[in-house]
Amino acid sequence: MKPLCVMTDVPEHLISGPKTGINYPLTVQYCGNCSMPIEYCEYYPDYEKCKIWLEKNLPTEFSKVKLEDTDNGATDDDKKRQKRGGKGIMKAKKSKDDGPKKVCVSRAPRGKKKSVTVVTGLSTFDIDLKVAAKYFGTKFACGSSVTGDDEIVIQGDVKDDLFAVIPEKWPEIDEIDDLGDQKR
Amino acid sequence: MFKKFDEKESVSGVQQLKSSVQKGIRTKLLEQFPHIEQYVDLILPKKDAFKIIRCHDHIEILVNGNGDHLFFRQRDGPWMPSLRLLHKFPFFLPMEQVDKGAIRFVLSGANIMCPGLTSPGACMTPAEKGTIVAIMAEGKQHALAIGMTFLSSDDILKVNKGVGVENCHYLNDGLWQMKPCK
Repeated sequence: MKPLCVMTDVPEHLISGPKTGINYPLTVQYCGNCSMPIEYCEYYPDYEKCKIWLEKNLPTEFSKVKLEDTDNGATDDDKKRQKRGGKGIMKAKKSKDDGPKKVCVSRAPRGKKKSVTVVTGLSTFDIDLKVAAKYFGTKFACGSSVTGDDEIVIQGDVKDDLFAVIPEKWPEIDEIDDLGDQKR
Repeated sequence: MFKKFDEKESVSGVQQLKSSVQKGIRTKLLEQFPHIEQYVDLILPKKDAFKIIRCHDHIEILVNGNGDHLFFRQRDGPWMPSLRLLHKFPFFLPMEQVDKGAIRFVLSGANIMCPGLTSPGACMTPAEKGTIVAIMAEGKQHALAIGMTFLSSDDILKVNKGVGVENCHYLNDGLWQMKPCK
C-alpha cells in the first residue's frame, strides 16, 4: 500500500456507502478455532490450532493463507514498520476441556418416600441446559428445572430411564455415570 | 466497553420491546446511519420482535428474534453496530484504517492511538469528534473494531499523540463471544 498522508486522498475501499454490484448481506467466513475472520487468525495466540482447523474445514482458504505467508516474509515487514512497546498479546480463550467429559446421574431423596433425579455434566457437551430440562420435563411428564451451573433436577425417580433417553437424544454422549443415591 | 464483559455476570435482564419503542429505535438508527436506509428491512424486519438485553454499566444490546446481536449502546449514547452485523453490511460507518503494527494492540482491547492512524499504511477518512467509526486494518478486508472518535480527524493529524479513537467493541471481546440470546 502506498503511503497516504493527505486526508483528501481516500482509497476507494474506505469510502462508506453501499457499493454497486455487491449483494448485501455479505457472508464472512469465521475461523472455528478463534471465531474471528480468517484474515485475523495470525494475530491469535493459538495460531497453530487455527491453521489445523482451516486445513481441515476450508482447504481453499488455507492454501491462500499459505501463499500469503510465503509472499511477504518477515524481512520487509520488520524494516518498514515502526516498533511499538508493550506486549499487546491477546489472551487465548480458556480451553473448556479441563474436566472429564461425562454425565453423572444420581437420585436424591425428597421427603419420606419420594425422590428426585439429579443430572450433572450435560454442559460439558455444550448442551443448552434450559432446553434439556424442558425436554426431560416433557419426556417424563414431570417437573424439571435447571438448578445450578451444570445441574438439572428432574422430579421423580427416572434414573433408570435416563440411561436410555440421554444417548438417544444426544448421540455424542456415551459415558453416563451412576452415582447411586445421595444421602440427605 | 466489553473488555471485562462476561455473559453470565454482566447481563441483568432481557426485555421484549414494545412496537412503539421499536419504531423509535428504527428512526433513530436511520437518522444516525443514513446509508442503511435501503437495507433497514433486512437488518430490522418490520414483523420481527426485538429484545433488549440490559447489562451492567448501563449497556443495552438490541437483539433480533433469532437472538443475534445487532446494535449496542451505553446509557443514552449513540447506537453502535455489533461487528458481526458490520461484517455483513460493511458500508454504513465511516472507516478509519490503522497500520499493521497496531492490529494486535487493538485486538487486545487498546484504544487507537493517533500515530497508528497517521503513519504510512494507515489512512483516515474525515470524521468529527464523537462519531462512531469502523476500524479497518492495513491489508485486511474486514473491520476489526468499532470505536468512537476522541478527536476529530484534523486534530488527530495535528496532535499525533495519545488516544485518537476510543475502542468500544473489538474482535474476540465479551460481546463478540456472547452466544445468541434466546
